[in-house]
Amino acid sequence: MKQDQMLDEIREANLSYLLLAQRMIREDRAQAMFRLGIGEQVADIVGSLSMAQVIKIASTNLLMCSFRFGEEMVWGLLTSHSKDAEISRMHAALLMAGAPAAEAVVA
Amino acid sequence: MAKSVISEARDIKLATDLIQLGARLQVLESETKLSREKLLRLYKEVQGKSPPKGMLPFSTDWFMTWQPNIHSSLFMSIYSYIDKSMELEQIQVIVRAYRLYREHARTHGMDEILSITRAWRLVKFFDAGMLTTTPCVGCGGHFVVHTYELTDSYTCGLCNVPSRAGKTKRRALEPVAAA
Repeated sequence: MKQDQMLDEIREANLSYLLLAQRMIREDRAQAMFRLGIGEQVADIVGSLSMAQVIKIASTNLLMCSFRFGEEMVWGLLTSHSKDAEISRMHAALLMAGAPAAEAVVA
Repeated sequence: MAKSVISEARDIKLATDLIQLGARLQVLESETKLSREKLLRLYKEVQGKSPPKGMLPFSTDWFMTWQPNIHSSLFMSIYSYIDKSMELEQIQVIVRAYRLYREHARTHGMDEILSITRAWRLVKFFDAGMLTTTPCVGCGGHFVVHTYELTDSYTCGLCNVPSRAGKTKRRALEPVAAA
C-alpha cells in the first residue's frame, strides 16, 4: 500500500536523521549544533538518547527534521541560476548562519 | 615552576589544531602557554617547514573591502551562532567556526579569503570594540562594519554587488565556463 510505504520511508528518514545527529553531536558538539541548527539543550537531549529511545521517536507518522529556513529569500538564493552562483551561495550561507537555533522550551 | 602536564597537553592539542589550520606563530604564542621553542618545533613537525616571519596584519580596513567583508561576515555569523549556543573557550569557538567557514569555501570551490590568523584578529577587533556587525536593510543578514560608522540604513555588499566584484586577476585568466 502506498500509505504504508510512505510511513516506512518517514520512519527510515527519521532513524537516519537521528542517528546522524547523534554521531555529529558526540563527535563535536559545537559544530554539530551549527550544522543541525539546534541549541545546547536540544543537543544534550538528542545526544543522550538510547538506541531504544531513538527507535521509538523514529517510529511516528511525522518527520523529525524540518526545513531549515522559511524566508523566501534564502530559497531564491539557493535555487537561483544567475551567473554569480558563488555570490548567491555565500549570501544564503550567511543568512542561514544568522538564523536562531532551535531551543528546547522548558515549561 | 610547576607546570600542569594536563594543561600542557591541552595547549599542544590546541596549538596543533591551529597550526593545521594555518595559524601564524603569534596566534599560538598568544593562545597557549607553550614556549616559543616548543611552538617552533611543533610547527615544523606539523607543517614540515618553518613558520613565516613578519608582523601580523593589524588594520581593520582589510575587513571592509568587498570580498573580505563577505567572508568575514560569514565567519562572524558562524562564530556568533556557536558563541551564543554554548559555553566554550573563545579560541575553541574560533577554531570550530573557522573549520565550518573553510568547509563552506571548499565545498563551493571558493578561495579561503579569510585565513585563521585574520579570523582570530577579527574576533580580537570585536573584543576591542573596533568592529561590530550591523543588519543589512535588504536581506537582514549581519555584516562586519566599523563600530563608529553610521549604519542606520546599511546595505550589504551582497544585496548591492559592485560591478567589479569578484573580477580578480585569477578569474580573468580562467577559461570561460560554458553557459
